[in-house]
Amino acid sequence: MSETAIGRGWGGQDVRRELHSELLEINMGPQHPATHGVLRLLVRTDGEIVHGVTAHIGYLHRCAEKIAEGCDWRQWMVYTDRFDYLAPINMNFGYAVAVERMLGVRVPERAEHIRVICAELQRIASHLIAIGTFGLDMGAWTPLLYCFREREEILNILERLTGGRMLYNYFDIGGLRFDAYDGFERDVLAFVNIMEQKIPEYDTLLSYNKIFIERTADVGVIDLATCLAYGCTGPVLRGAGVPFDCRKDDPYSIYDRFEFDIPYGEGEQGTVGDCWDRYMVRMREMYESCRIIRQAVDALPGGPVKAEDLKKLVKVPQGSLYTRTESSKGEIGYHVFADGGSKPFRTKVRSPSFSNLHVIEKVGPGMMLSDLVATVGSLDIVLGEIDR
Amino acid sequence: MEATAIHALLQSRFGDAVSDYVDGFEKGSLVAAGRVAEIAAFLRDDPALGFESLMCLTGLDWDGYDASGKGKSVDILGYDELGRPQASDRVGDGDLGVAYALYSHRHGHKHTLFVRVTRAAPEVASTAAVWPTAAWHEREAWDLVGIRFTGHPDLKRILLDEGWEGHPLRKDYVMPGAWQGVPLDGRDYAACKWDESGVTLPDDVKRPEGPQQPEGTQQPESGNQG
Repeated sequence: MSETAIGRGWGGQDVRRELHSELLEINMGPQHPATHGVLRLLVRTDGEIVHGVTAHIGYLHRCAEKIAEGCDWRQWMVYTDRFDYLAPINMNFGYAVAVERMLGVRVPERAEHIRVICAELQRIASHLIAIGTFGLDMGAWTPLLYCFREREEILNILERLTGGRMLYNYFDIGGLRFDAYDGFERDVLAFVNIMEQKIPEYDTLLSYNKIFIERTADVGVIDLATCLAYGCTGPVLRGAGVPFDCRKDDPYSIYDRFEFDIPYGEGEQGTVGDCWDRYMVRMREMYESCRIIRQAVDALPGGPVKAEDLKKLVKVPQGSLYTRTESSKGEIGYHVFADGGSKPFRTKVRSPSFSNLHVIEKVGPGMMLSDLVATVGSLDIVLGEIDR
Repeated sequence: MEATAIHALLQSRFGDAVSDYVDGFEKGSLVAAGRVAEIAAFLRDDPALGFESLMCLTGLDWDGYDASGKGKSVDILGYDELGRPQASDRVGDGDLGVAYALYSHRHGHKHTLFVRVTRAAPEVASTAAVWPTAAWHEREAWDLVGIRFTGHPDLKRILLDEGWEGHPLRKDYVMPGAWQGVPLDGRDYAACKWDESGVTLPDDVKRPEGPQQPEGTQQPESGNQG
């Protein structure tokens, strides 16, 4: 602060100037490739060191919760697609389960199995994006292209199944909109066979790459206490060393029938809860999803895909219920308040990325600016569900 | 622990601040708005309760709610067929509320806290010091429902612009007719003009009939209408 430097002025004279440093405010976003969407992080830096992070969100806000109050229960399903546009089936699933629990409706077996298959396919697709773009943030271009190759297969299957490539609107209250096409099981199994061979390929390409490990291990450590306090869920919480997953710990649909493990961070390359752990949880979850899909395809029964005793205009009995399911990003919760009528009185969406992003304001200060990019990438946020 | 036992424990500890037991799809307790923060700290720190996780914080408006359960709650105000904001003479009344969905990882039990505050003084004690995740959820409840959280570290809008008027999730919220001078009411935007003198809005644009226009200046019929 008090040092002086002597330089040469325009006229050749000596110029004395005090050297000082000050906090510099940098905008990361709203248009920035490392923010994964329209997010603005206001970063206060001293050189390369981050002193404070403030997240400004809301750029994609459409107030879908207000729209819900004007829709009937079935109609709003299409808006849930738009929350997490990288995993719309998981968003559909959460809303369908929430309303069905309040209605007390039994979903037909075939529909439940197809739901699980779709949700797990979608989870793989979403994790592929997470892994690919995280590699991209770390300067690894190639894995992204490999990830998109496999994601394309999933999108093809879902397109054949639902007609949409990105937003499906396939789930309905009480089942599915229509049955799967002939040969759906064959396509899914063919994909799973390929996918299981590809995962070791990603590991060689990225997971155990020396440069990648140097950039992610011991970086952006989020410990368990911080995760719980800030409501972090999904791979962020599991990366911190807790095998908590709504599919096992708060079971919904038919997940209790399948055998699968919950991967969690063990600090293999550094500290528990670092970026590498969160990344690796996603990688291993893809393998577990393949296991679930195999079991669900094996057990796929015939029969209807819609609950038959359900009217077209459903009326949810009065009351409120918070229902959570596991999306690819974490716990997607719907707090539904019903007045007994044909429209939702109030539906609050608790999106996983909302809480997962909040933690950046806590863990950001003190890290290097480049590590902030790594940490945001490892959180795998989608702004559509943060802003709703 | 059973929800009834949790409610009884809260009642013995906080007396009048904990009133009704809520027995619906989810079980919970109705508590006093001013003492939520103390109750929250107790819920988190008591070893038998151990609610270290706030799953969800919901702000809501009970205005026009049909308590009989027939689904006759008041309709929200939207836009009419022409895209104009609907207005109503009805004055909003009824309470605002907050719901806290809690979960304990240690014990695996859930409980929901409900709070009701009057529309005239919608003030709830902030729980951001107990569960830091509440800080953003409370900002959202302030932004969209207009509930003030006393003791919040930085209570400001989160999803909407700082200059936004009103709180959209209130049942008597009137949809905006314009935003920053740009009308939102379904006028013919293809008829807008924009030159160095500024924007001429569709209402002021006089659209000449086709045949009366001088040659060569006729607009193509197919435009992006609306």
